[in-house]
Amino acid sequence: MKLFDPHIHMTSRTTDDYKAMAAAGIRAIIEPAFWLGQPRTHVGTFEDYFAALLGWERFRASQFGITHLCTIGLNPKEANDPHLAAGVLEMMPRYLEKDGVVAVGEIGFDDQTPAEEKAFAAQLELARRFELPVLVHTPHRDKKRGTERTIALVREQRFPEERVLVDHNNEETLPVTLASGCWAGHSIYPDTKMDEARMVALVKKYGVERMIINSAADWGVSDPLKVPKTVAEMRKAGIRERDIETLVWDNPIAFFGQTGRIAPADFADAHYDQSQLFEGNSVLRGQAPERR
Amino acid sequence: MPPSPDMTDVVPTGGAAPLGRLLTARAGAAGWLDRAVTEAGLRAPPFEEVRFSSAFSSAARRLGKGPVALTEEERRALGRDCIDWPLDGWGVDELGRAALLLEAFRALAPEPAAALLARCYARADNRERQAVLRSLPLLPDGRRFLALAVDACRSSVQTVFEAIACENPFPAREFADASFHQMVLKSMFNGVALRRIVGLERRRTPELARMATDYAAERRAAGRAVPADIDLVLSGTGTGTGTEP
Repeated sequence: MKLFDPHIHMTSRTTDDYKAMAAAGIRAIIEPAFWLGQPRTHVGTFEDYFAALLGWERFRASQFGITHLCTIGLNPKEANDPHLAAGVLEMMPRYLEKDGVVAVGEIGFDDQTPAEEKAFAAQLELARRFELPVLVHTPHRDKKRGTERTIALVREQRFPEERVLVDHNNEETLPVTLASGCWAGHSIYPDTKMDEARMVALVKKYGVERMIINSAADWGVSDPLKVPKTVAEMRKAGIRERDIETLVWDNPIAFFGQTGRIAPADFADAHYDQSQLFEGNSVLRGQAPERR
Repeated sequence: MPPSPDMTDVVPTGGAAPLGRLLTARAGAAGWLDRAVTEAGLRAPPFEEVRFSSAFSSAARRLGKGPVALTEEERRALGRDCIDWPLDGWGVDELGRAALLLEAFRALAPEPAAALLARCYARADNRERQAVLRSLPLLPDGRRFLALAVDACRSSVQTVFEAIACENPFPAREFADASFHQMVLKSMFNGVALRRIVGLERRRTPELARMATDYAAERRAAGRAVPADIDLVLSGTGTGTGTEP
């Protein structure tokens, strides 16, 4: 079964991770633009960050047979820096037409400040203008309220709900998200957010329609193999293969493909050939290139 | 001192026209350039940079990434326009982006055009960078972008490196020896066939031959194969050039 991890921050991960992900069946990933664990203080840093998402990281992933897509956005944490926020929002239109940019994101609430709300609303407008879906981060603190505010803002802006993926759901927020027209993302984490067993229970209770899972692996304690590990747990629990495939392959493609940026045919033959690109400063350091 | 002129040193005089003609002849690309040029305000000011960037960035989705697949007649026509290096490695999207960039250089004053190119490159993904690099030998006063081209050789993305190093007359025309030598060595290191470097024969120097000899010795000492085409640089018989400005 081919797997899609639609939320993972690969700039923070190693080639060992790429190898293990490819071996576990992951063929496509989406890297949302987010913060890097500490605040950036210059608009230009974002320019380089976006270039890394669109260029170097895409190339790195391709050497392991993994299709790398990304989302472009101003994250809620850094939306609180007014100078930075204005500069990044002004720069974003130059990125939203680019190949492999499949959504505006991660946007949303963190501390749930007025500045965050302003940046969130402005980016919903950008998503509308560039015909893109949005990936919405939900806060760690006061999460249920943050999820409700997210959906309220989407409605207030009259942004199509089916083009919104509300991420990092848990048992408390999932009913709220599913009651709207938005899609529901779940980040399977070693300690926080959501784990494999709880995810199995949620799938049994709510089914797989408009449901998505991801690893959200980044620079913190996280696990880039959480999608395959959750698949294994779902199999053990007797969830049907067809439903699992819907959850970990068809759904992400259907959600992010809504406005035509990606289509199932784009992923028909995920090939793998390091030989085109080897040595020098590439990811291989003198090893024999692998083909598959 | 720049290298001595020869055929590839003649900047094509037709500006954007030869590329525009090629693009227009491609299936599904007919009205694209005309529309993009008009919408960006390159025919009638003011210039709308965001619209230019949108067209430049979405070119792959609108034109596809298929190979340009030139006909024999098109190849001959390019030769008549002094474009005598192969464009066969270009994708249709790259052809579209290069043609659009050249139109901007035709319409804008030199300074704003140069600034536009720099921003375009800084915010580019890999394929957009390739298109910018492939455009360099076609631009008026292209040597203004020498630093950008030398920097592109430092890319770890193989396709971006190849866009400047291979089938591109710009390095042989503009690079100083030190940069040119580094590019040739990196080509060997990255498994790029040296015959793909345009103008290599006239840029061979004793220093480059010395570097290649050392590289071959290093490979042998490590029990690794020496590139089969290393002979192309072992005889330092070209004219070389001077130092970087």
